[in-house]
Amino acid sequence: MRTTLTKALGTMLLCGMMAVLLSSCTSGDSANGKVQIEFFQNKPEAKTTFDELIKTFNAEHDDIQVTQVNPPDAETVLKTRVVKNDIPDIMAMGATDTYSILAQSDIFTDLTDSSLLQTIDPNYIQMLNDLTGMDEVTGIPYATNANGIMYNKTLFKEMGLDVPKTWDELIATAQKIKDAGEIPFYFTYKDDWQTSLPFNALASNLVGIDFYQERRDNKVTFKEKYREVAEKQLELMKYGHGDNFGKAYSDGNRAFANGEAFMYIQGTWAISEIRKANPNVDIGFFPFPTGNDANEIKLVNGIDSLFTIAADTPNREQAETFIAFLLEPENIGRYIDEQTLFSAVEDVKQDDPAVQELMPYIEQGKVIDFPDHYIPAAVQLNSIVQSFLQNQNIDNYLDTLDKEWDKVANRR
Amino acid sequence: MNKRIAPYYWMTVPAVVLFFVFMTLPALQGIYYSFTNYNGFGKEYDFVGFKNYFNLFQDDNVGNAYWFTFKFAIVVTILTNILSLLIALGLNAKIKFRNFFRGIYFLPNILSVLIVGYIFNYLFSNVFPIWGQNLGINALSTNILGSESLAWIGIVIVAVWQSVALNTILYLAGLQTIPITLYEASNLDGAGKWREFWSITFPLIAPFFTINMVLAMKNSLMVFDQIVALTNGGPGRATQSISHLIYTGGFEGGEYAYQSANSVIYFIVIAVISILQIRFLQRREMDL
Repeated sequence: MRTTLTKALGTMLLCGMMAVLLSSCTSGDSANGKVQIEFFQNKPEAKTTFDELIKTFNAEHDDIQVTQVNPPDAETVLKTRVVKNDIPDIMAMGATDTYSILAQSDIFTDLTDSSLLQTIDPNYIQMLNDLTGMDEVTGIPYATNANGIMYNKTLFKEMGLDVPKTWDELIATAQKIKDAGEIPFYFTYKDDWQTSLPFNALASNLVGIDFYQERRDNKVTFKEKYREVAEKQLELMKYGHGDNFGKAYSDGNRAFANGEAFMYIQGTWAISEIRKANPNVDIGFFPFPTGNDANEIKLVNGIDSLFTIAADTPNREQAETFIAFLLEPENIGRYIDEQTLFSAVEDVKQDDPAVQELMPYIEQGKVIDFPDHYIPAAVQLNSIVQSFLQNQNIDNYLDTLDKEWDKVANRR
Repeated sequence: MNKRIAPYYWMTVPAVVLFFVFMTLPALQGIYYSFTNYNGFGKEYDFVGFKNYFNLFQDDNVGNAYWFTFKFAIVVTILTNILSLLIALGLNAKIKFRNFFRGIYFLPNILSVLIVGYIFNYLFSNVFPIWGQNLGINALSTNILGSESLAWIGIVIVAVWQSVALNTILYLAGLQTIPITLYEASNLDGAGKWREFWSITFPLIAPFFTINMVLAMKNSLMVFDQIVALTNGGPGRATQSISHLIYTGGFEGGEYAYQSANSVIYFIVIAVISILQIRFLQRREMDL
């Protein structure tokens, strides 16, 4: 995820050269008479799956040829290409701050009335509108991920524990595990982004996403609304292991796969990594019980991948044909199976046993977006939360959030 | 005459062009963007005058990064120079396997900083704590990189470990310039090893001391790779150096113009420090 300056400079140089090279062979009609469509996507994990899908598509269509482009550090490459005005026909990315900024620069086709959106769960379309603050829809949600608490089913069974449904039950369960001399949660807070996972679950359920609109209008502060979020996140820290800030994400995946801890606050994206470390681990997943009314709890569920079409592409029709192909239940079904994600297309189910407990929430639309997608990247939420968990000063923490938010807002 | 001069132009002109295109031009562009609100991509931006500079002085993240970087740089510069001078003296003596040891001590300099960083990262989080636990030392039984107050020491260790190699080589080169006859003479006069060091060795390698101090200071003021590989600026912002802040804020945070202003100021700071250091240390060379 991170790169060094040298690497970054290298990529930038490379992008520059690539851009020069590519500009001489931009998409359009090629020698063999087919329309060339460039499909740019940012997930290295998904490269093989997309390759297979594109192969099928190209074989079925005589007049269109899709090519996948998946460079390392794809978001940075994409931003550079936008500067060069060399925008790929189709771009796939997560619903993040980057998407929001690019959407607001009007480089994507307006798809508000597109028939492609018909089969998409309206919740996710709403999510995009909330994120960009625009009325137009410029992205087609494809696959989604979820954030909750992973647990080791074998260990739970051995100790006779039930899956906690409320906050009090969660703490009671953790206490029981701790009393038995075992590790309730495996925290991996050496990586600062890991500290934002409980933050996302607690903030979305206890405060909600509307907060960010009000915060932008200066009607409310973190100090007024986020105390409970902070207190609960702090309380969880009592149930970690001996070196909560010394272990990183990859250490955690290994430790959890080997049964060192009962629970692991994590996203569904970690499942494949954990299975790599130990294919036999029996993983379960439940939504973060943030409060004491089990019926009110929503699953944090964000868009992992969405499709956009360049505003100035001459091949909009062909690009839409390809996206329609990817959205066919059979193809998206294959994609989410291989990537352990959820489908944004209605009625396509994920049947991996590890995430079955999450499915009812997704089917009933009891979901809520990741709050950190609404916080400008320059605020550097992750490092603020990490610092707070270390020095445990709630007042200081909430003040810092407000102060950093205002500072970034002032600089814009 | 002209024919003899020509090759020198063939050597200098391309270098000047390359230097201008890849160093000067980007630097000038950076200065230009520091007066705008450009976010790093897109085409739209406005001129905001000195607003970025004004905001910099009110941003305690910037102050915090400066504090960390200077503390780090001073400690690393001192430790690196003491250790590398000691090692160089040892390697210059008539010991067995001298060339073998010289090779060993130079190794850290060949390895990529990032790889070294990741290896140490693994050691700090998975190996050293186990040693600490076995020895029963509490302070060592957790990963020091995970602690706000101790993480910088971990980075100092790795940075010194790696930068000692180059400084040792420079000191060795310096030691070889000292004529052996001086030592023979002092031997006859009955000077001890300490006396020999302070009165002959150290004054005669003074120029090398100067350049090593300046290089070590400059390199550690620009510390970046080690931080990315070891802590990524954390926990919190406890180990965020200035160059790391410029990179994360500018590229990941989309505040390209704001951090450009930061880097302009930082460039001036480093230049001033290096010039002062050279002046001060060179005057000292004369005095000796």
